[in-house]
Amino acid sequence: MRIVLDRPRCEGHGLCEEAAPQLMHLDDEGELVLDREEVDGADAALANAAARVCPVAALRVE
Amino acid sequence: MSTATLKRVVVVGNGIAGLTAADTLREAGFDGELTVVGDEPHPAYSRPALSKALLLDHADMASHRLPPAGHGATELLGVRATGLDPDRRRVTLEDGTVLPYNRVVLATGSRARRLSDLPGELTLRGLDDALTLRGRLAARPSVVVVGGGPLGMEIASGCLAAGCEVTVVSQGVPLVLQLGPYLAGVLVGAARERGLAVVETGAARIEGHGGDARVVLAEGPVLEAEVILTAAGDVPNTEWLAGSGLTAKGAVPVDTRGLVRPDVAAVGDLAAFPTARGVRRVPLWSSAIEQAKVAARALVRGDEAPELDFQSYFWTEQFGLSLKAVGDLPVEGAPEYVDGSPGGGPALMRWPHADGTADAVALDYRIPVPRLRRMTRAAA
Repeated sequence: MRIVLDRPRCEGHGLCEEAAPQLMHLDDEGELVLDREEVDGADAALANAAARVCPVAALRVE
Repeated sequence: MSTATLKRVVVVGNGIAGLTAADTLREAGFDGELTVVGDEPHPAYSRPALSKALLLDHADMASHRLPPAGHGATELLGVRATGLDPDRRRVTLEDGTVLPYNRVVLATGSRARRLSDLPGELTLRGLDDALTLRGRLAARPSVVVVGGGPLGMEIASGCLAAGCEVTVVSQGVPLVLQLGPYLAGVLVGAARERGLAVVETGAARIEGHGGDARVVLAEGPVLEAEVILTAAGDVPNTEWLAGSGLTAKGAVPVDTRGLVRPDVAAVGDLAAFPTARGVRRVPLWSSAIEQAKVAARALVRGDEAPELDFQSYFWTEQFGLSLKAVGDLPVEGAPEYVDGSPGGGPALMRWPHADGTADAVALDYRIPVPRLRRMTRAAA
């Protein structure tokens, strides 16, 4: 599975980072950085959890 | 109860609280039969987007869409729960279905508080409401929004951006009750510059008038518009719990783990939980998520599960400004400027308390929310 970020949509709320800090973080400018894009198993579940808490639907896992 | 004897969990409600609870039950090791009941036919969606991007951006019809659920639950959508028997552990649905459970999550949220039963009074709470309003805005109607809270102001902003003439009717200056006078001043100033008309009143009611609705102010004036929309708060959906003995003051009070009793959790907008300001509802997106995570783990693991350590995160977008706040709003007095300055432009602000903690607000300022959270803590 692969995490896809729709960057123009991201507003930097950071709820995804709180859900999956192992996979992504916001940098000092508030820009989301995907530390890993390819995920499987438990990490895929985490990625999905991160995608679903995003209030602006900026993340997809496909 | 160990997870081995936990066979059936029912989640009643398919908003972000119910969805997060269902996801977290799986994460916590529950692999039994999971059923999610939702009264709307739609899959779970982002409610904050309904009054923001979905109204504003006419090309974008996907801002509210969440990725498909991965919890593998049996989803019963478009059907309402009508009863809970906590002693026999059964949920009843309006179509007569009876769902037995070992554990249940109450997550039926809340609905718009209406000021009348007139069809001419619109509200914005669910996806269908937002699509209706969006459809009406295409003809650029005149709009009166009753309610000067964040939701009312976001809707007013969306209507203005759609080219409508918009009046907000507010008890006192809009946003003061929710944000405090300083931030309210900034946002209402931006709203007026963009052409928003604000009418302050002691109270407003909606009355029928020749098949339409109109707004009557306590002081006497009457406001008419092609669209009348009210944003006057929310009412928890607890009617289906009548007779269960689990409700108090129109909400469902829970402990620090979101539990009403060991086999019943309540999460999201209908739950009143212990906060620094007493037991109360905090009907916000981030609150629903945090509550649901804690309560789902507590249903599986009991007292071993961590308690809720909640710090409010709130954001709004309106009149060309974005605001993110961590801490207890409303804030009183003027802030310290960590970056930026009074008088416009991006700003990072802090309202310190005597104990060294603070409330932190970013106005049009791109900042990771974890960093905003750190700004609220006392210096080590």
